[in-house]
Amino acid sequence: MFERVHTMRIVATPAALDAARWPAGHVALRTAADEVLITPPLASPQVADEHAIVMADGAFFGGWIAPALALAVLERECEWEVPHERPAFAQGMVAGLPVKLWLESERVLVLVAAPFAHDLAERFVP
Amino acid sequence: MRIIVDGSPVDYAAGDSVLLAMLRAGMQPTSGGCLCVGGDCPHCVATVDGVAYVRTCQTLARPGQIVESFPDDGYPPLPGAAPEPAVAARNIHCDVVVIGQGAAGRAAAAAARQAGKQVITLDAGAGAEVIGIYAGPLVVARTAAGMLHAHPQGEIIVATGAAEIQPVAPGNDLAGILTARAAEAVAASGINLGHIVAIGTAPAGLKVEQAEGDLVRFEGTQRVAGVVMRDRKGGERRYACDTAVVGLGLQPRDALLRMGQGLAVRAVGDAARASDIPACPLAGTVCPCSGVTVADLESVWQRGFHELELVKRSTLAGTGTCQGMACMPHVRSFLQTRGGTLQPQFTARPVTRQLTMGEASAGSHHQAVPRTALDGEHRRLGARMDRIGGWWRPWNYGNPLQEYWAVREAVSIGDVSTLGKMQVSGPDALELLERLYPTRVKSIAPGAMRYVLMLNDRGYIFDDGLIGCDGANRYSLTFTSGGASFAEMWVRDWAESWKLDVRILNQTMALGAINVTGPLATELLQRAGLASAPKYMQQAKALVAGVQCRVQRLSFTGELSYELHHPAENSVSLWRQLLELGKDLGIRPHGLQTLLQLRLEKGHIIVGQDTDFDSTARRVDMEWAVKVEKPDFVGRQAVLRTNKVALDRQLAGFEMEGAAPVEGASIHFGSEYAGYVTSSFTSPVLGRAVMLGWLRLFAGKLPDAVMIDGRRAQRVPVPFYDKDGSRARV
Repeated sequence: MFERVHTMRIVATPAALDAARWPAGHVALRTAADEVLITPPLASPQVADEHAIVMADGAFFGGWIAPALALAVLERECEWEVPHERPAFAQGMVAGLPVKLWLESERVLVLVAAPFAHDLAERFVP
Repeated sequence: MRIIVDGSPVDYAAGDSVLLAMLRAGMQPTSGGCLCVGGDCPHCVATVDGVAYVRTCQTLARPGQIVESFPDDGYPPLPGAAPEPAVAARNIHCDVVVIGQGAAGRAAAAAARQAGKQVITLDAGAGAEVIGIYAGPLVVARTAAGMLHAHPQGEIIVATGAAEIQPVAPGNDLAGILTARAAEAVAASGINLGHIVAIGTAPAGLKVEQAEGDLVRFEGTQRVAGVVMRDRKGGERRYACDTAVVGLGLQPRDALLRMGQGLAVRAVGDAARASDIPACPLAGTVCPCSGVTVADLESVWQRGFHELELVKRSTLAGTGTCQGMACMPHVRSFLQTRGGTLQPQFTARPVTRQLTMGEASAGSHHQAVPRTALDGEHRRLGARMDRIGGWWRPWNYGNPLQEYWAVREAVSIGDVSTLGKMQVSGPDALELLERLYPTRVKSIAPGAMRYVLMLNDRGYIFDDGLIGCDGANRYSLTFTSGGASFAEMWVRDWAESWKLDVRILNQTMALGAINVTGPLATELLQRAGLASAPKYMQQAKALVAGVQCRVQRLSFTGELSYELHHPAENSVSLWRQLLELGKDLGIRPHGLQTLLQLRLEKGHIIVGQDTDFDSTARRVDMEWAVKVEKPDFVGRQAVLRTNKVALDRQLAGFEMEGAAPVEGASIHFGSEYAGYVTSSFTSPVLGRAVMLGWLRLFAGKLPDAVMIDGRRAQRVPVPFYDKDGSRARV
């Protein structure tokens, strides 16, 4: 169900990230005010910050899963309330792992840092 | 329909609780005590289907149920070694949780719903028994489907009603004593209670003989046969009975309210009422759970324990199965009589009910320990893995001595992916690092690296690592594996506090790192395509075995070494190719055990092992790493201040013949304790034990000869091995 997910991490000023526009077909997760995680990676990211740090990062594991499955697991394993609107981004501990979620109406992207891939496979089960 | 009680089938009627079934058969789960049939007292607990301390009055009987009374010593046997089945957990979010669905609870829930709140109601009678309220807030309830974790955004309303007060008098541990409500419930189920004597408020609807006066004692053998009362003139009268029923008043079931102090928790209905306070107990058992008597209360009072919380702790009254429901009105009455003031109830803590380990752990997991991208490679090579520095790491691959010699005489690779790794850029990047580190960061030229200590604001070492300059306003930092998370917070907190214009990227989990070390390290990397190796303490970006790497030339082992930092998804490819290319060079992977030994021969410290919470650069003899002449850095003022104080101890190197003593061994100078060993190892290349350890100064000097583990050891300068550093710098 889960596999390596190739991403791009960009650290830049919040203003530069606020102003940036990402091409269709990419999911951009604003993981912090000064950081965005984009998957699949961009060929040539445009960010108006000459000091930005841009890094191709293949050290995430996860995958797209059906909302019913995701919500069933989250009801069991997530102590915080998952956003109800769609699409929505959320991150926090799920099943004791630092998880990032991108929730769309028809699918949910689940991501963890690769060092937790083994635990994700064990814990994020129906 | 029958349940099995202590091995014998017992009939029950539809709707019976386990307790009613047993009473119907003339049995009682415990040897006696006043039954409440409300889940408040400890007198009906038994082991049901393998779960101990189950309140049988709250447990519906079902066919084939196994009920076991507790043995005579009062304690059920411990569960067997077989793992308990996992208990499911479910999280549910709402605005308001209402606990209890009597009239007050229903009204509270209706009012909240009317106000537009999303309400969850939890009621033991409906199968959701709340066992605790935690910070969060979090309300945990036991249900037939598992544990329910309710997370209210708003308030928690406790509507759990009131419990009846238990009697305290000699003989209150006999069978056949019931509270008034219990008597009504038992009689309503068709059980004949025989001749009933009522003490205090009589049960409704039952024919009773009312006892007059104050309760003196219950009489009988095993089962109550009479009640002795004292009239106003001091005369005693005995009332013969089959059942004694007590109506001594009510106390709120407010444990959950008292548990939720500081949270948005309030009580309604009887749960919010004040407790009736019975007459001061004169004799008998007050706390049936812990066997606390009136004499015990008197004893602790005489010893000066006058506060309810202290009396609770000194006697254990209130700490048992019923959590004070049986004893607290009487303990408070006792203390009021002695001290003149009615003291408030004690602070309650989870849980209010017994629960199994499975229920307690429902929804929780072991702390996940991250694995490097090479974890599978280590296991495939037969490594002994251990959790070190917050990661799964290879301790050794079966033969640490072979790993050691591979590093010293050939070439070896080690997984150092766990090192903290960070990039910092921005107009204020240099300013940030100058303020953070006690080294002159400005003098680190592009392409160069420097070893650095990290000091807290008290001047104590909390981590160490490297700074590499990647170009104008761009730096790469490394930290220890165990210190990386804290170091990131430290860097970010200071950057924010100083409002510096920087970008910070933690790359610890994104980058793998392989240490290539040994005299043949350069040759191996040349085979892997590295055309131009960086010089000592320099770094360069280059392709190694087709993998884009940041190649850092440094040495922790004391040998010629390179660290290859690379995208973690390429770690396995890089690792395998290096092993393949180095086959004829005698390559072996080395584990952390070998790495720690190699570095000790070089006298390199491990922060956290060789340092203590108050280790300064001066104490670890590394003052060269702290440039106090810099205008400012975190910890500078503390360093200047402590430098004026006479040195009291220092980290020193020691050698001795024979096997190395254990780490932690004490060091003596003459007959005086002088310190302890922080790292020790019998060096194969030196043929003797080498150690680092803390050593006190005597008369302002470090002693040269000391005793360690009862043997003579000599203080020597570090490093122990390759003193001029030529092997690493070659």
